[in-house]
Order: sequence, then structure tokens, then C-alpha cells
Amino acid sequence: MFSESSGLSLPERREFLRRAGLGFGSLALAGLLHAESSGAPEPAVLDPLAPRAPHFPAKVKSVIWLFMTGGPSQVDTWDYKPELQKRDGQDLAGADPKTGFFTTSGKCLKSPFEWRQYGESGSWVPNIFPHLSQHVDKICFLHSMYLRQNNHAPASIELMCGTNRPGLPAMGAWLTYGLGSQNQDLPSYVVMHDTRPRGDDQIWSAGFLPKTFQALALDARRKEAIDNLARDGGHSDSQQRAQLKLIRKLNEAHAAQRSTQTDLAARINSYELAYRMQMAAPESLDLGQETSATHQLYGLDQPHCATFGRQCLIARRLVERGVRFVQIFAGKGTASDGSVNDVPWDCHSDLETNHRSCALHTDQPAAALLTDLAARGLLDSTLVIWGGEFGRTSDSQGSKGRDHNPNGFTIWMAGPGVRGGLHYGATDDFGYKAVDKKIHVNDLHATLLRLLGLEHTRLTYRFNGRDFRLTDVGGNVLGEILA
Amino acid sequence: MRRFVWLILLLHFTCGQRIGQQAQGQNPGQGQRDDEGIRFFEERIRPALAQHCYSCHSLEAQRAKKLQGGLFLDSAAGLLEGGDSGPAIVQGKSAESLLIKALRHDGLEMPPAGKLPDALIADFAQWIDRGAPDPRDGAVPLRPKREIDIEAGRRWWAFRPLRPVPPPDAPDPSASASPTAGSGTPPDRSLVSPIDRFLLHAQRQQGLRPGSRASREKLLRRAFFDLIGLPPTPEQLEAFLRDESPTAFAAVIDRLLDDPGYGEKWARHWLDAARYAESGGYEFDGFRPGAYHYRDWVIRAWNRDLPFDQFIRQQLAGDKLTPDDYDGAAASGFLVAGPYPGQITAKTVERIRYDQIDDMLMTVGGSMLGMTIGCVRCHEHKYDPIPQEDYYALAASLQSTVHGSRQLDPDPAKTITAQKQHQAATPALLAAVEAFASGQFAERFETWKAELSKQPDSTRWQTFEPISAAAERSWLKWQANGLLLHDGAMPVGSLLSRGGESRRVGGQEIITIVARTHQKNIQSLRLDALTDKSLPQKGPGLNGDGSFQLAELKVLARPLDPQAKDPPIELALKPSFAGGADPDQPLANALDGKMETAWTVRATARADNAAIFELASPLAGFDQGTELEFQMRFADQGLGRFRWSFSIEPNPATWAGEVTPQHLGELRSLLAAGNQQLAEGMRRAMMPWFSRFDAEAAKVWDALRTHRQSEPRPSLPEVYTTTAGGQDVYLLRRGEVDSKIEKARPGFVRVLYAPTDAVPNPLEEAATDPRVRLANWMVDVEHGAGSLLARVIVNRLWQHHFGRGLVATPNDFGAQGERPSHPELLEWLSSELVQSGWKLKAMHKRIMLSEAYQLSHDVIPENLALDPDNRYLWHYRPRRLDAELVRDALLATGGNLDRAMFGPSLLDDSVRRSVYLRVKRSELSPWLTTFDAPEPTQSIGQRVSTTVPTQALTLLNSAFVRRQAELLARRVRSAPDVPLAQAVDQAYRVALGRAPAAAERDEMLAFIEEQAALAGSDATARDRALVEFCQVLFCLSEFMYID
Repeated sequence: MFSESSGLSLPERREFLRRAGLGFGSLALAGLLHAESSGAPEPAVLDPLAPRAPHFPAKVKSVIWLFMTGGPSQVDTWDYKPELQKRDGQDLAGADPKTGFFTTSGKCLKSPFEWRQYGESGSWVPNIFPHLSQHVDKICFLHSMYLRQNNHAPASIELMCGTNRPGLPAMGAWLTYGLGSQNQDLPSYVVMHDTRPRGDDQIWSAGFLPKTFQALALDARRKEAIDNLARDGGHSDSQQRAQLKLIRKLNEAHAAQRSTQTDLAARINSYELAYRMQMAAPESLDLGQETSATHQLYGLDQPHCATFGRQCLIARRLVERGVRFVQIFAGKGTASDGSVNDVPWDCHSDLETNHRSCALHTDQPAAALLTDLAARGLLDSTLVIWGGEFGRTSDSQGSKGRDHNPNGFTIWMAGPGVRGGLHYGATDDFGYKAVDKKIHVNDLHATLLRLLGLEHTRLTYRFNGRDFRLTDVGGNVLGEILA
Repeated sequence: MRRFVWLILLLHFTCGQRIGQQAQGQNPGQGQRDDEGIRFFEERIRPALAQHCYSCHSLEAQRAKKLQGGLFLDSAAGLLEGGDSGPAIVQGKSAESLLIKALRHDGLEMPPAGKLPDALIADFAQWIDRGAPDPRDGAVPLRPKREIDIEAGRRWWAFRPLRPVPPPDAPDPSASASPTAGSGTPPDRSLVSPIDRFLLHAQRQQGLRPGSRASREKLLRRAFFDLIGLPPTPEQLEAFLRDESPTAFAAVIDRLLDDPGYGEKWARHWLDAARYAESGGYEFDGFRPGAYHYRDWVIRAWNRDLPFDQFIRQQLAGDKLTPDDYDGAAASGFLVAGPYPGQITAKTVERIRYDQIDDMLMTVGGSMLGMTIGCVRCHEHKYDPIPQEDYYALAASLQSTVHGSRQLDPDPAKTITAQKQHQAATPALLAAVEAFASGQFAERFETWKAELSKQPDSTRWQTFEPISAAAERSWLKWQANGLLLHDGAMPVGSLLSRGGESRRVGGQEIITIVARTHQKNIQSLRLDALTDKSLPQKGPGLNGDGSFQLAELKVLARPLDPQAKDPPIELALKPSFAGGADPDQPLANALDGKMETAWTVRATARADNAAIFELASPLAGFDQGTELEFQMRFADQGLGRFRWSFSIEPNPATWAGEVTPQHLGELRSLLAAGNQQLAEGMRRAMMPWFSRFDAEAAKVWDALRTHRQSEPRPSLPEVYTTTAGGQDVYLLRRGEVDSKIEKARPGFVRVLYAPTDAVPNPLEEAATDPRVRLANWMVDVEHGAGSLLARVIVNRLWQHHFGRGLVATPNDFGAQGERPSHPELLEWLSSELVQSGWKLKAMHKRIMLSEAYQLSHDVIPENLALDPDNRYLWHYRPRRLDAELVRDALLATGGNLDRAMFGPSLLDDSVRRSVYLRVKRSELSPWLTTFDAPEPTQSIGQRVSTTVPTQALTLLNSAFVRRQAELLARRVRSAPDVPLAQAVDQAYRVALGRAPAAAERDEMLAFIEEQAALAGSDATARDRALVEFCQVLFCLSEFMYID
């Protein structure tokens, strides 16, 4: 494509850039990594997005995080509590008024759903997940998650960035920084959302890391449109190629006179990357290339799950093309009065209606993703995570709602490196607080980094005089869950 | 309590440990021996400790490197001394003992493997309540304290006082080792600038030689972007190239320093350091409409070359140094520019309060001192000599700093002048009324007089037309027929100029209305409180629910005749009837002389209400007319729309009814007083009433009336700044708000504090506000942080001129930061700054007139081998334009940059300079973010410059860049007869600040032809091809870089 029209073939041009990089020594972009950090593995390359070898052999190449925005209730999804079912309406022992964001009743509220055991693991699943219940033996459940913030934005920031301080990089940015990109034509970190989750960009921020590592955010309401991928009208491909050729020629001449300035070579390269992205990005998002069977599998033919289904299918196409970290913030839940909630799983007033609706939107596509990834062998390299920013109170808010509860909730993972069918850690008998093998976000991150081949204490970046880590000053790898 | 500070250190290092003494005087082994208790311990407690605790909390564990939390449970002393979280037990008080809390899983959870049986925990509690008898006499190892030695800390280069450093001699050019040296060294050594002498000296030591000078075109472009952030126009380029005088470049620098763009460019650098944004971040990212005043203040401060020490003092304490002053409040916006949660509950309020102070403190540290202070919140600084006490001393200095908004007049002097001018214009208008009254009036009135009898009779209620109306805390607008309407609230508590004087606005509304009448025998008064759609809940009150509470009403009557001797009378009023009141708060409450009770209209709000008063005895009225003053005092806010009426009939409660304006009644009454003759003295009094019927009279009267109602008001923009409030700050164990240790006293970073014996110490005057003291300390070169402050700002200037500071870590001058490449030069520049009165513009000029600044990028191969990083500045390193400047340069190049300054922020589609774009934390400008504008959450000293494909995509495809290319094409070829070659030349000058070489021009022309051929055969193909060429220019590194 691009290379054919230029004076140099693509391999030749790569060689030019490579030579430029090596010839210029250890400065500029690579220097940027050197100067500011001590922790990115083997950064001795010109391009900060070039793939880098991890600290250890990695089981996981890509991550898809199905972010259940708003905080699903653990005791109504994956953390079955018979004791809670028995004591509906009774005082919740140890109820702590500081748990939720509002005020709760202190009375147990049982799960309104029917629960059954599935799979060889005998995992309990409520009837709102008819599709995901078929996959429990692939899934490693972490029942003892906790964090410190009890409102959406701060908790989401803590969950994605390790602590609740704004301005820190999110996990996806850390991964790109640490591992580079497996596909130079696509961003390595892609976020999809519908209505924007509370906290907005802060949840997928590159923070103080260079913008090289920032996420590409795709908005479902704009059908995942990417800004500036194409110019409006009156500009043919041949015109653009001629233009790019001239730009490159002039910029190369300019760079040749400034041999100490290696970022100039990267800048020249970036036009080529941009040109390729113009092709690659729309191709990766083109669901027309998928069969109608696949469309149906993900539920694209059904209005209630078409959006999340599309996002999940795009996620599969992206990891297929080497994208490292894809995060889907589940959008839209429907309240009992039919109004649309911009914080989907946030069931303050009516847990049952809310969770039925949210599950209906997400269950089939999430299960389809597992099925599809497995069928394509991608589940051997892709880790799927399901979970939101916190759980819910076991006592009721109002008569049939649940308030925020950061003290105990469930996140699950499926994919390489983790033990399927495992239920790790536990909340108390009411699902109210994590009590056994408690997992803080830092522990989760340390474990995820390990799965991706990174030692969390070695992935550091110096900013304002301090070496920062995704895991802040904490983080223990959950050895027991690793396969 | 001091001991606790040391107990809570986070100790990640392993320095030598000493075996210390047992905790003094606390050994339970001393004193009376509790044999039974010891037996209990041996039977129940010791085995449990050994089984469940020793593996992590014992000397043994320490030897095995398994000690956790610095806690030893294998000796009595260890329990009492405790670990990182404090003592493990409080003898006799199990409920207060951390050990019990941990065993009960209350906040801490021990042992980690699982909770102990309840019975065993009860044993522990019982044992502690008994006094924790414990025969174990093992010593507890002294904690490996890292005693911060402040005195030693002062020896760190950055913390020393500034010292005078003479510049080295200039090198002798004839002795130079390199005859091929560029023009960097003038032949006359005495002309070598001090800066160059430092640099050349260092270069010589390294075996380097300076490169050649940059071309004049490049130099001009460099200077323009560096000082004002915009490219030179072709005309400016030509003028500079023509000016061959040796001072041509100095003249350019002077002009640029005077350009308003200077403040816009350099404010942006400071705003990075100040983590400036206009929203709170977090959950709802609430927008702060008044935050931009800080940004504008910074721009103005740089433009007027406000001495840097004052610039700093204003930001730290402007609100305290000049209370009620717009500038002071705008400057204090610095303190509150950080993120702040929108949703705060009782559960989070205390933590958030400390987070706020931490945010301020980190920003102060990073931006002003180049120090990392934030980590000291939880533990002593690991690298720099900052103990936790210093952190909390700074925090205490900042404790009375609360986020808020204030409405302040940016220019009160101007308002007062305008009001005085307004007042001064009154006599002339009054004179015109007098002249009319004594002139035309008589004849015109006589002509009209017969009409009077044809006019309708007055109704029972006649409405007063006020002579004046004023309110304590609101503006009033005069409507027709005596109605007054609320016209905006004054900010309570603020100093406001009114009537040409400044006064503080009170919180209780007082409305004073003055009216006049010549009618006699007034028997009743009536207040109408009316609704209006402009009012909250339609009114009639201004409270949020439309209610009001009239606490007290007073009506005074006095003679209109200034000669009259009669004293004013306070009318005795009886509540007659209220058309609306809360049942238990009747009208009588407004007349009881008590401010605590009020006529309250809440239940009947959102509807018209009225109150009728009877005079205890009718007001006979004064001979030459009566002036009535109505004083209405409200509990809080006042009325939204109202009027006063009167009646000369008794028993008003028995009739309701219509109101008419008072003018006919007045005319009739005045005529009656003169036996239907126009008495001389009556003419002036009749003017307001007659003006209703006579166009000429209306002209002069209305001119006066309109004038009276149009007193200039102050403009009162909302400024996001500090407001009163705040609470004491406590030293916190590990930064946890639940672990308060003791109240912190305001103070400074002691390593930067050198109190003298001089009395009184200027920094310790207790009477001064702690934040003012902090500000004074910050700029005090002798006793405070002034030396470091000077180094840090000089380094920032240097960095933004050379791409890298003399200290490469501008926000970290501590042990973790880079050491200065030229320590003596930094010292000299900093001293110069202080000696020249902290003036920054002179410093820019000094730097830019150095040879080093004017070097070209040319590479000298021998130098490259020795100093590839250009640490010694032997050539000039190009650097990419900052995000704002890329955008501004595009707008300037397209010729559509709007240079309007200041004001509320704008979205990306604006054509104003980028410093005015909105900075909303959750929705940062896509353009600015793409080109590496930082997250405004922490102080940023240095932006990272990336080359991501999204930048290329933006330049290639965005509608904005396309539009600028079109505008540039039109600018350089305004008509079809302009030769393309000429257009190409001009486009180069506009976009790149130079003319193209002949070969370049030919290549561009060929490109345009090629594009035209590809674009099609229509007439506009070549025009569009020219646009493509212009867009190519924007995609050039040459365009994007300062070279």
C-alpha cells in the first residue's frame, strides 16, 4: 500500500528507521523511557510501542475486561449465600452504617432470584445468567475482592489505577508501557463505552505516563467512530499517498540535518502508522466480515443485547489483531419505571428489576465471547474478566434496593493461567464483607501483571521524584489461583 | 507524643539495629507482682502468642526476615512499644488495645490465617484488663530509626543559601584549541556575557567547543515562539532581516516582552506547575465557572512583570494579604485549583479535608520549591530531610483554606469613580427641573388645568411613587406605578461600592423607601407583596421557596420643607389585615419591636400577598408636604416585587380594592391648598405629578428620574477562590485520618528555615495569619525558602528556553532529582534574579542575548562523541511545539487567530488562543490531549513529548487543520493572477518563517501540479492542490518544532 508508492519498499523503510534509531544511539524516545523510568522491561528500542519481552514467560497475551459498570451485587450474581436467603428481613449481624453511600436498613435482603448449581464445579448461579451459567467450569471466581472507596468514580479509579488518586495511569496504560504493542497499526489499549461511566476519562487515563500509552475510547452511541481516521471528501487515496510521500521526503531531509534528534524519525514513522491505521482500524471494527451465525451468537439480532454484543464481538476482533487490553464498560440498565440508568448495575431502589435488565443486556454476549474465543483458540491467550467497581450491601436500601459495598464483592476471570471452576476467597455468611483470603485491587493487579509476564514491583515509572507502580505500595500475587 | 512520630515510620530499609532498653517505666514486671495474673498469662496467653503470633512478631521472626509491621509480641516491652500502628496494648484497657481490635477483626485482622476462638479472645481481653501481667523480660530491639538530620540536610546544594558566584573569565579566543570554532565567541572577551562565560568554561573543561550561530530567520522564529508562542509574520521577518544594527535582536526581545502574548505563553507553563483546571474531577467533575480568573490573573501578572516573589506571595495568601480584593482572590485560586470531590458525605468529609490540604501542599512543594512533599503525609521522606512534623506544620499553615466562590469587583476604584461621576451629574438635571418649574411650567399648567377635572377620581388606595429606594443586599429596579422589583442580589459579606463609597453587605435585608405626598389626613397604609416570574418560585419573597419574613416595619414622617422645625414622627401602626400569613406568624409580629419574630409568608407564597396597617391617629401632614420613609427589616432575604400605598379613609379592613397612582390626588391636593391657584412654592412639588400629562415636563422630569435609577453598579464576577473556614490539622499516624496523634502547629520546612536571633523574627509573628507567614517564608531569601524558590523559577525559565533545565528535574531539586549541569551558573542567575527585584522579563532577555541561546542546531562530530546529550549546550536542540502552540500557530498561519484576551473558557472550536480553552478534568480538550497537554491533577514541571499516530491523523485529516490549510492557501493566493511560485514563497514565510530554496520551490510547484492532476480537471483543481500543499507544510517537522 503505502510502501509501494514511496521510493523505498516497506522493509527498506523499516530498515531506514531502524538504522536511524540505532545510529542515533540511545536517546530520544527510548531515552524518554530510560530517563523517566527504571522499570519498563528492555526498553532499548526506538519505538515506545515496540513489543517488549516481559519479565517472565507470559500466559496471557490479551485481556478483555467486561466492566459491569455501577457495581453488581455479589449476592445476586456469583456469591450464593443460603444464610441470607434464610434470614430475609432479619437484622443483619454486624451491619456497618459506614459501608454504603446512603443509608441502609440493617435488615437482610435475600436474593430474589432462583439459584441452581452448574458444571462439574457445582457453582451456584442465579437464573438471570442462563448463558454464562454454562461456562462456570472455565471461570475462576474471586469472591473476596474489596477496595476502599464507596462511590462510583473513586472506586472505579481505585480499581483501574490502584489507588483513588486522580492523575494516575490506568492498568491498560501500564500494560502498554510495560509490554509495548503487538500490532503497530492499532492502539494497544481500547476502551468501549455506551453512556460514559462516572469518572469518565479518569478511569482509562494514561495519567502521568506519556500519551503514547493512552486508550482509544470508542463510544457505542457514535457506533465506535474514530476521529480523524478519514478526511471529509475531495481527497483520493492517490492524492494522500503523494502527499505523504512528499511529507516524508521533506521530513527526512530535515531529520538528516538534526541527527541527534531521534524523535524526528519517530515522527516520520508516525505518518506511516497513521496511514496504516486508516485502513486497519475500520477493518478491525467491520462486523460485516462476521458470519450471521456469529452475529446471532453474540445477540446482535436482539435489541436488548445488540450494543453489548457488538462491543464484545469487536473486542474479539481486536484481540485477534493483537490489541493488548480491551475494556468494555457495560452501558444502560433499565429501572422499574422504564427510565434508563447511566450507571447500569447501580440498584439502589429496585435490585430485582435492575439486575434482571442488566443481566439480560450482558449475559448472552459475555457467554458468546467465551464460546467464540474458545472455539478460535483465543481463550488460550486471552483472559476475560467480569466485574464492576464494588459490590452491594446485603441489607436493603429502601425495601428492595441495595447500596454500594466496597468491602466484599466478586470478580471473575476466565482464560489461560487461571484455574477454572475455582472459587477463591470468601465473604461472610451474608456476603457482606470479605473475610477469607481478602483480595485488594493491588493484589488483583499484581496477579494480572504476573499472568501477563510482569513482576508488579518492577514495573515502575518515575514522576515528580517518586517511582510509581500500578500496585502502589501493596500487591501480593494470588498464587493459588494460577494454573 | 514525639515518640509516636518515630513509631509510625515506614521502614523499608535495613540499617543497623541496636538492642535497646526496655520501655522505661512501663514494664509491668516492676512494682507489685500479680502472681495469679502471671499464672493466667502462662496458661492461656503465652501459648496462644507463641502458636499464633511469634511466627511474624518476634525476634526469631526478625532474624528470619519475617517480621511484620515492626511489632514484637515476644516480650512485655514489645507489646507496650508496639509496631507501625502503635502500641499493641493499653494496660487495663482491653477496649482501647489494638491487639484486641485485631483479634476481633475490627479494622485489623489477626492472625491472618483465621480468627481465634471467641473464648481465647476473651482471655486476652481479661488479661489486658487485669493490667497485662507479663513476666517476659526480653528486650525489644530499638526500631531502626532513620533520624532525619536537619542540620546535615542544609548542606544539600539546593537547600543552601544563595552564594555570590563571579562568572569565570571569558576564554581567550586566540588560545582556543579549535580554530574552527563557530561564531559563538565574539573576539572581544569583555563582550562575552556572564552566562556564556559560565557555559564556555564548562565546555572547555569537557573539551567541547561551541557551535555556530543560528540563521537570523531561525533565531527570530525561536524568539517569537519562546516569548509569545506565535510565529513571526512575513512582515516582521522582513523588518528583522533588514535591521542590521547590533541591537536588532535585543529590540525584538523588548517588543516581544511587551506583547500581551508573552503572558499568554508563559502563564501556560505556570498553569502546568499549578495543576490548573476548571473542574473538580472525581464523581461529577463539577465545573467551576469562576476558575478562569486565576488563569487571567497569571497572564496579567506575567505581562506586567509582577516581581516573582510577589507573584508567589499573592498565590499563597492573596486572600489574606488583600481581603475583599479581586486580584487577591483570583491569585488565591492557585490554592484551590486542584481536584475536589463533588459528593461528600459524613463518611468521607474528614479524609477529603486532608486530601485537599495534601493536594495544595504537593503543588506548593512541586511548583515553588521543586520538592516532593506529598509522600511525607504517611512517612518520613525517604530521601530528603523532611520529617513528618514538617509536613503537618505546612498542612497546619494551610488549614484555613477552603474551596469556594466569591463575587468581587475586579475594579472597585473604577466603579466608585463612575458612581461619583453619576452623582456629579445630578445637580444639572435637578437644575433643569427647577428651571422648568419656574419657567414654562406655569403657562403649560394653566393651559392644561381644565383637564384635571375631567380625570377620574382617585381610588381609595393611592400608590406612592418612590423618590428613592435602597436595599441592604439587593438591587431594585423601578417599574411603572410605584412598583419595585428585585434586580439581583448583592453578595453578602463582600465589600461593595455603592453611592460612591465602599460598604460591606449585611446578611439581613433592609429595604428603605422614601416617598412624598401633599395629601392630608392619611389614615391607612398598604404593602403589596407581588409575584413575578423572575423570582424564585414566582415569589413574592426571595427565599428559595418564594417566602419572606418581614421582621420589623418602621414608618417615619417628616416635613418636606427644609426650613420646617417639626421633628420627624414615627407613625404608630396597627395591623389591620394581612392577605396571607403563616397562621402562627401574623402581621403583628412586624410591629412588635422584636427582630426575632416576623410577619411570615410561607404558606401563602407563590401568590400575591398584602398587608394593611391603620394609623393609630391619622397623619395630618405637614404644611409644605410630607416625606415618608418606610423601613422594612427582614429576617434574611427580602421581597421580590412590592409597592406601598396609602389611603385617607379609615377602617381599611372593611374595604379592599383597586389602587391608582398618587399623581391625581397630589395635583388636586396641591391645587386645593392654593385655592385652585398655582402657588409659587407648589410648582416644583407638582413636577413629578404633572409630568404624567405634559410631554415637556416629562422630558425634564423623566431625565432626572431615569438618572436616579441608573447608578452604575459594580460588575461582580464569581471568582473560584478560597473562602473562610477550615479546622485544625492533626498529625496522623501513617496518614490515616482515624489515627490522630496530636494537633499540628503551623510552621515551615525546617531545612529551609534559618531563624535568626533578631527579635522579632519576621516569620514567627503569631499575629500574622499562618498562610501569610508561609508566604513570607517562601520568598524570604535570608531566613526562608527564597533561595530555593529563586533557583526553581530560574531553572524553569531556562528549561523553556533550552528545552531542558540546568536541573533536568524541574519539580525535584531533592536527592532523587538530577544534579545541576551548571551549578554555578544556576547560582549566579538566581542571585541576579533576587538582586534585580525578582523581575523575570529582564531574566528572559539576559538568557536570550547569550550566545548559547543563539546557537544553531548544527552538530560538531567531535562534540557529539563527548557530549551526545548536549548537556553542555554546545548546540541548540530543536523541540516540538507544545500542544497549545501547535494550535495557535495553525490559527495564526491561517490568519484567523482571534487575539482577544481573558474571560470564560472556550471549547476547541474557538479561534482564540489555546490558553483560553476549557480545562475540564474528565473531558480534556481532545486537541490538546493529542499533543501531550498533561493531566491537570498534579504539578507538572515538564511535559512529555510523544509522537503518536493520532497526531499524524489529526494533522492529515481533521477538519480544523484542513480549514487552516484552506485559509492559508487563500491568504497567500488571494486572486487567481497571483503566480503560484509567489504563493509558495509566501506560504513558506508564513508557516515556516523563511523563504524556500529554489529547489524546494520547484518541488512544491511540481507537487501542486501533480495534486491538481489527481484532483480532477475542473477549474478549482489547482486551488485545491494549493490547499494540499499548505497542509503538507503543517505536517512538516519544521513547522512543528522550535528550531
